[in-house]
Amino acid sequence: MKIDSNPKAPLKVVQQKNILAHFGPLSYEEIGVLLNRMTAYVDKQGMSITIKKKVYSAMVESLENIYKHQDIISGNSEYHPKFSLLLNNNEFSLFVSNSLLNTKIKPLKEKLDRVNSLNKEGLKELYKLTILSGDVSLKGGAGLGIINIAKVSENKINYKFETINDQYSYFTINVRISC
Amino acid sequence: MKALHIEPTDFTPNVNFNPENSSFEISGFSRPENAIGFYRPILKWLEEYNEKVLSQNTDFNKKLLTLNFKMTYFNSASSKFLLDILLEFMKFMSKGYEVEVNWYYEEGDDEIQESGEEMSDMVSFPFKFISYIP
Repeated sequence: MKIDSNPKAPLKVVQQKNILAHFGPLSYEEIGVLLNRMTAYVDKQGMSITIKKKVYSAMVESLENIYKHQDIISGNSEYHPKFSLLLNNNEFSLFVSNSLLNTKIKPLKEKLDRVNSLNKEGLKELYKLTILSGDVSLKGGAGLGIINIAKVSENKINYKFETINDQYSYFTINVRISC
Repeated sequence: MKALHIEPTDFTPNVNFNPENSSFEISGFSRPENAIGFYRPILKWLEEYNEKVLSQNTDFNKKLLTLNFKMTYFNSASSKFLLDILLEFMKFMSKGYEVEVNWYYEEGDDEIQESGEEMSDMVSFPFKFISYIP
């Protein structure tokens, strides 16, 4: 539980629940296990199928991004993939981190800034343009994952790149979904 | 031409393409580890169906081809291939075949319903939307 620290503001209590957490290498099957655990939680809370599908999509796309696009730093266990799902009052919050090559930062940042600049209709249009023109890479992505995350979130995607060394950085996104 | 049946797995959908009754159905869940590996043979089957069956048919009266999507979830990599499958059916239409696309969604599942509406918009072809209670 976090309490607002501003003494002049009315006391606002933020309920925060940790639903899921993962740290370490991530297999395709483990992504499935995390998805099943989230589904079980949402069903138990009696939340709507729409919320469940939104969180599901955001988890799939962000975790598959790690699985397909991470750059593993050999011999280093400090910067393994990290995932957590929190529930703050009426909002799910996902934090997803992985290591990546510094050379990937610029194009990734451009993609994130582009989706963050668009509204719901703009995102639909970008999705349409990308799917109709983009070739699916051998890794299975079509540049659609990030757009899909922004579509289901309906919030801006927060992100940061923390420099590890001159070759790698640790990339984190935070996706929020109102429920 | 032989029917195409692919049993579902934890990551891939059920596929039932039956040339006998011109019914083509994809149902369930789609998050394949290798989307190209899963969907390319399906697209290849459709290309062969076009060449070996549809192109050989000289009857004036063409059969109605029914494509049913009953997806519960599909990731973005799969959506690219579901669209490619739809585009194959749009090609069949240009050969004089009538095509109907039924998009099933669980009642209340706005995400799947909206995905269908977007797909329909992308190929500029109206789908029939059918909700069901599981």
